[in-house]
Amino acid sequence: MNRAGLIGFAILSIFFLMAVAPWIFAPYDPYIRFTPYAEPGTDHILGTNDMGHDILSELIYSARASLFVGFVAAILATLLGVIIGIIAGYYRGWIEDLLMGVTDIFLMIPKIPMIIIIAAFLGSGIWVLILVFGAFSWTAIARIARSKVLQIRESGFVLSARCLGFSNRFIMAREIAPNLTHIVFPKFMLLAASAMITEASISFIGLGDPSMKSWGVMLSFAFTKGGLLNGMWWWYIPPGIAISVCVMAIALIGYSREKGADIGVRG
Amino acid sequence: MHAIIYRWPRYLISLFLIITLNFALPRMMPGDPIANLIGESAYVSEATIQEITQSLGLDRPLHEQFTLYLQSLASLDLGYSYLLHAEVSSIIIERMIWTLGFVGIATLIGVILGVLLGAAAGMNRSQKSSQLWTYGSIAISSTPPYFLGLIALSIFSFHFGLFPLKGAPATGGILTWLHHLALPIAVLALFIAARNCLIMRGSVIQELHEHYPLYAKAKGLTDRMVLRRHILKNASLPVITQIALDIGFIFSGALFIEIVFSMPGMGMLIYDAVLSRDYPILEGCLLVIAIMVILANIAADILYGIIDPRIRRGE
Repeated sequence: MNRAGLIGFAILSIFFLMAVAPWIFAPYDPYIRFTPYAEPGTDHILGTNDMGHDILSELIYSARASLFVGFVAAILATLLGVIIGIIAGYYRGWIEDLLMGVTDIFLMIPKIPMIIIIAAFLGSGIWVLILVFGAFSWTAIARIARSKVLQIRESGFVLSARCLGFSNRFIMAREIAPNLTHIVFPKFMLLAASAMITEASISFIGLGDPSMKSWGVMLSFAFTKGGLLNGMWWWYIPPGIAISVCVMAIALIGYSREKGADIGVRG
Repeated sequence: MHAIIYRWPRYLISLFLIITLNFALPRMMPGDPIANLIGESAYVSEATIQEITQSLGLDRPLHEQFTLYLQSLASLDLGYSYLLHAEVSSIIIERMIWTLGFVGIATLIGVILGVLLGAAAGMNRSQKSSQLWTYGSIAISSTPPYFLGLIALSIFSFHFGLFPLKGAPATGGILTWLHHLALPIAVLALFIAARNCLIMRGSVIQELHEHYPLYAKAKGLTDRMVLRRHILKNASLPVITQIALDIGFIFSGALFIEIVFSMPGMGMLIYDAVLSRDYPILEGCLLVIAIMVILANIAADILYGIIDPRIRRGE
């Protein structure tokens, strides 16, 4: 891992600590109500919001929801993509044509409008977001997994395993899948980054989970409850910076693991 | 041309999938299908409900409803918004012109900027300036586009008062329009440039590993000439694919930037429709955006053929 990757790793670790044990960092419980619209001061470093919640504590407690959505959605998409990619690359023939055709079709569906409409119908909640994101984001992983499988399916260890009579399922799961980790991992990190941005965007238009605090929900309230119009920068700038720094840390880890200099980002 | 003909069925199936989803969503979702079809907060009389049931065939089996739905789409009928009291298609067309203009101008600026910066960053990887572009691009593409808009709005409009708070003037000449649109266009262009810069950089670095740039250099060409005459064309191929695949993402980014700057485009339309649960509008917008993404992909296929003669000849 290069220097940028290490910096990313250090930053992400801090965010993970905040997500796991926010009470260590937060000065207050984020649901205690103080005087609303307080300016930053010694009692409240980042002031309080319209409900009187301490913004710094809110910011720290929000790490959990944002990271949870990002990583669970990315795990879901990665699993789907790897399974589809391995099956397509291993069996080849009409199965490959079919699965890659489906991949091309899913690649064309606009993800964020799709999530907006489904969340509008089903009501907002993080699981809607996670499931829909996962269901429409596996395409890039499926493509790279397939092309890698095409390379290794002819290699010695796979052929030996076939001669020894192992089942196809065993070969795919135990012989091929582990060899995909180094190409899938960078894409996984970028997916987690893009899922976090998607969560922040969907929450911004009021389709976030109302029962959880997340950076996107904070931004949304700061925008709709007058934080922007009253120039309360300490309310709407910190959650945005938190998203950017966290996403950037994840992306840097991803890039540092990517082979060569190819640093293309997919949303 | 070969590639385009080969891909046609996929484009058509994508479109069909979106249309089917649009048809299925309001009918499958929990709750009253009538409420799902006209929007939860719309108040209509008993007679209108009868009329809707009749015209959409809600009392008939699903496959007949689907045929009716396809027929109405074929005549460009996207339904009726009972909250805005207008045809969905006419509302969307009015808003779409804004969004298309906004996205078009920003994409043009963003792509040119991104390709040039990315090419420079790829050619001289070790230079300080190219590292600045690279890390700057990573930072910008790690930020939700609407947050970039919020920052720009708070710095340039609130603190310095250089630009108006709203992205659309009611009246005024071309200068007033430019003044209002400059900030949102700059934000979206920056966002697009950042993404393209990273792709172009990677692409140029990959091309540098080939033999032809080395040969061109051995011939005595300067770095700048090697880039302009040989690498630029080859390296921009992945960028074209990327823009086409990205167009859905660019569109979504544009929608959110429109919301921040209160521009009367599709973003505001979707935002208001989400708040009032105006489902016909949301469905219409999804369909229109999907069609634009597909059109962008077809355009990319054609452009690819123009730039790369190997594809045109079907090699």
